[in-house]
Amino acid sequence: MSAELELSADFQERLTELSNLSQKAQAGDKAARRELRKAVRSSSGEVIARASDLAKMGQRVLIKTAATNNPLLEEALPARLDLMREEIAGENPTPLEALLTEQIVSLWMLLQLHEVLHSAQYKRGSEHQVSPSFMLQMVKIQESAHRRFLASVQTLARVRKLQANTPGIQVNTQINLR
Amino acid sequence: MNGKVVREYIGGGELARIVSEGDATRRALRKVERQQERTELERLEALAAPVGELCEVTMILTRAHLLAGGYHEHKGEWRRERRA
Repeated sequence: MSAELELSADFQERLTELSNLSQKAQAGDKAARRELRKAVRSSSGEVIARASDLAKMGQRVLIKTAATNNPLLEEALPARLDLMREEIAGENPTPLEALLTEQIVSLWMLLQLHEVLHSAQYKRGSEHQVSPSFMLQMVKIQESAHRRFLASVQTLARVRKLQANTPGIQVNTQINLR
Repeated sequence: MNGKVVREYIGGGELARIVSEGDATRRALRKVERQQERTELERLEALAAPVGELCEVTMILTRAHLLAGGYHEHKGEWRRERRA
């Protein structure tokens, strides 16, 4: 992973705090739930914005790899992702919905890259066939991405459904979809 | 052959040397190909790693938001807390 994609210590610390409090709140600790509410109010907006940046940086790397120095693809893929973002996020998404949208878009891009690489393997011809174990490993990585993609779509749908019945927590964060 | 290593006597002299060199070349080629495949797989995993990390971050934030919003998870299903 490149240095720019690495999570900062502060970001990691806030995530750990949210994760620990969530665990305690899930176990029934009421004080932890109150604490979690405060933590979500105070730091989750920034953490979500940072995670969205992380998602976009990852997408750029995937686009560059999938485009393989084809300028047209390098232009077309980000535009395609922008369209997807708008379609999936809809109007006035909450910061969490926007982040989940970024996750879906990233996974979709990863799956597209896998498709490109698989097609390239099949086109190599019988003289340069890769080993079955290599293909198996590739398929495993692809399957994992596919499972995550479906799970992320399901999570977004669930969050939307639940948030529709909840006043929700006000988090003032702006995430630019373009 | 049938999962067992079988030695086949080819003979001696010049013919055996040529066959032996051919075998060695094929083995070396296979080794290079396997190395290339390993490198390619590592590259793929490196490309998928940031997305995997993003998924973990999103999962933590989603859980935190839902729990803070008065929900709890029960057997994989999110439910509203009665006294949230």
